[in-house]
Amino acid sequence: MTTNFIRSRIVPCALFYTALLLGWQVLVVLRIGPSYIFPSPLNVALSLAEGFRDRSFWFGILVSFRRLLTGFSLAIAVGGVLGALLLKSRTFEKTAGSLILGLQTLPSICWFPLALVWFGLSEGSIIFVVVMGSVFSFTMTIHAGLKNIPPIYVNIGRNMGVRGPALLWDVFIPAALPSLLLGLRQSWAFAWRSLLAGELLFNSQGLGFLLNMGRELNDINRVVAVMLVIMAIGVFIDKLVFGRMELAVRTRYGLKPS
Amino acid sequence: MPILKVDIASKSYPANAETLLVFEKIRFEIGRGEFVCLVGPSGCGKTTLLNILAGLDPRYEGEVLFKGRRVDGCDADRLMIFQELGLFPWLTVRENIAFGLKCKKVPAAKRARICSEYLHMVDLARFQDSYIHEISAGMKQRVALARALAMDPEVLLMDEPFSSLDAQARDLLYEELQRIWGITKKTIVFVTHNVREAVCLGDRILVFSAPPVARLKASFSVGLPRPRTIEANGVIDIVKCVFGELKSEIRKTYDHEFHP
Repeated sequence: MTTNFIRSRIVPCALFYTALLLGWQVLVVLRIGPSYIFPSPLNVALSLAEGFRDRSFWFGILVSFRRLLTGFSLAIAVGGVLGALLLKSRTFEKTAGSLILGLQTLPSICWFPLALVWFGLSEGSIIFVVVMGSVFSFTMTIHAGLKNIPPIYVNIGRNMGVRGPALLWDVFIPAALPSLLLGLRQSWAFAWRSLLAGELLFNSQGLGFLLNMGRELNDINRVVAVMLVIMAIGVFIDKLVFGRMELAVRTRYGLKPS
Repeated sequence: MPILKVDIASKSYPANAETLLVFEKIRFEIGRGEFVCLVGPSGCGKTTLLNILAGLDPRYEGEVLFKGRRVDGCDADRLMIFQELGLFPWLTVRENIAFGLKCKKVPAAKRARICSEYLHMVDLARFQDSYIHEISAGMKQRVALARALAMDPEVLLMDEPFSSLDAQARDLLYEELQRIWGITKKTIVFVTHNVREAVCLGDRILVFSAPPVARLKASFSVGLPRPRTIEANGVIDIVKCVFGELKSEIRKTYDHEFHP
C-alpha cells in the first residue's frame, strides 16, 4: 500500500467515520430520545461484540449464506437457460419476454404468501423467494448482455464455421462477459434483499431473524448491530467479490474502469 | 476452372416499403492464386459483394460458384478479414490466431505448431501473449491476417483492411501482404477505395460504377514485377488510368447525393 493510497483514500475515510460517530454521540448526549429508542455508539459496539462472542451472529451469517447460495445458484442456472432461450428463439422472446418482464417487476416479497401455501414455514419458502426475487432480473440482464455484443464477433465466428452451442460458448459469452458480470452483481443484490425480507417473517434463524429478534426483545442496540453486520456483508460482497471480478475482466478486455 | 465464378443478376435490400437495388449484372471470374482488387465509389456495394462471396449474405439473384459449387453459406475455405477486424479482446494474440483451429477441434500440439508458424510469418512472436488492446493498429492487422491464414483457407476476402492505418504502417503492410501472398499462394479478393493501394497489390483491378445501381465498369490487369511499392513509376502510370475511369463515377456519386 503506497502512502499515496493512504493519503487519498484511508485518511478521508477515517475522518468521515470519526465525524459520523462524533455526531451520533452528540445526539446521544443531547438526549433526543430515551436510550431504549435511540442507541449510543458504545452500546451498539458492545452488542456487536457480544453477538460475535456468543456466536449467534456467526451462526446467523452461516444460515443466511447457505440459503443465499442455494437460491442464487438456482437462479443463475434457471436464468442462464432462460436468457439463452430468449436469445435463441424469436418466438420465445416475443411471447415469454413480456411475462418475464412482468415477473421481474413483481417485488420479491409478493411471492411470500404463495411460498407459504406451497412450502409452509420452512427453508423451502425462503429459498423460493430468493430464487423468484433474482431469477428474472438475471434472465433479463443475461439476455440483454448477449444480444448487445458487437455483431462483428458473431460474423467472425460464423465465417469460421462456428455455430450452435459452440458459438454461444466461444463467442457470445466471452464477448458479453463484462455485462454478464454486471447482471450477476445486480441479481445478487436482488437475491440478498429477498433473503432478508423472507427471513424477517418467521423464526428462521438467519440474519433477518436476528434483526426481528432484537426488536421483539426491545433491544435497540442489537437491532442496529445486526443492521451493521448486514450492511458490512453487502459492501464486502459488492466491492471485494464482484468489484474485483469486474476490475479483472475490464483490465483484461482493455476497457476503462467503470 | 476459376476458383470463384460470380454471376449476380441483381442484389437488393429491403428499405422501408420498397427495395433498394444495390448492383446488377456483376460478372467476373477469379483464378486460383490470383490477387484481385475491387475499387469503386463509396456506396457501390463492394462490401455487400464481399459478404455474398463469404456466404454471410445468401439473398441475391444469380449465382456465385466456389470451385463449381453454389455459395449459400459460410465455409472456412473462404475467410473474410473485416474492416473492423473483430479481434477478440478476451484472448491473447496467440489465442486469437488459434481460435478457428480450436473451434475446428485441431489437436493442441498441431494447433500450437500452426500458431507458431503464422506468428513468425507476421512477425509477432514477441507479442504472442499480449492482449489485443496492448498492441498497435498495424500489429492488429497482422493478427487478423494470421488468424485467417491459420485456418488455411483457399480464398481470403479482405474488406478495406488498411483504411484506418497511418501511411507508414500501411506501406509496411503492403510489403508484408505481398510477401505473405507469395509464400502462401492464396487467392485474395481485396476491396478498397484507394486506387494506389489496389494497383500496388493486385494482379487485376475491377472498377465499379457509381450508385445507385452499380455495375462492373472496367477491368485492368497489372503486370508489374513484385514486390511493388506505392511510389513505383509503373504503379503511378496505371493508377492514372484507373483513376481516370473512377473519377467520372465519383463525380456521379456526388451529383447523385447532392442534387438527386
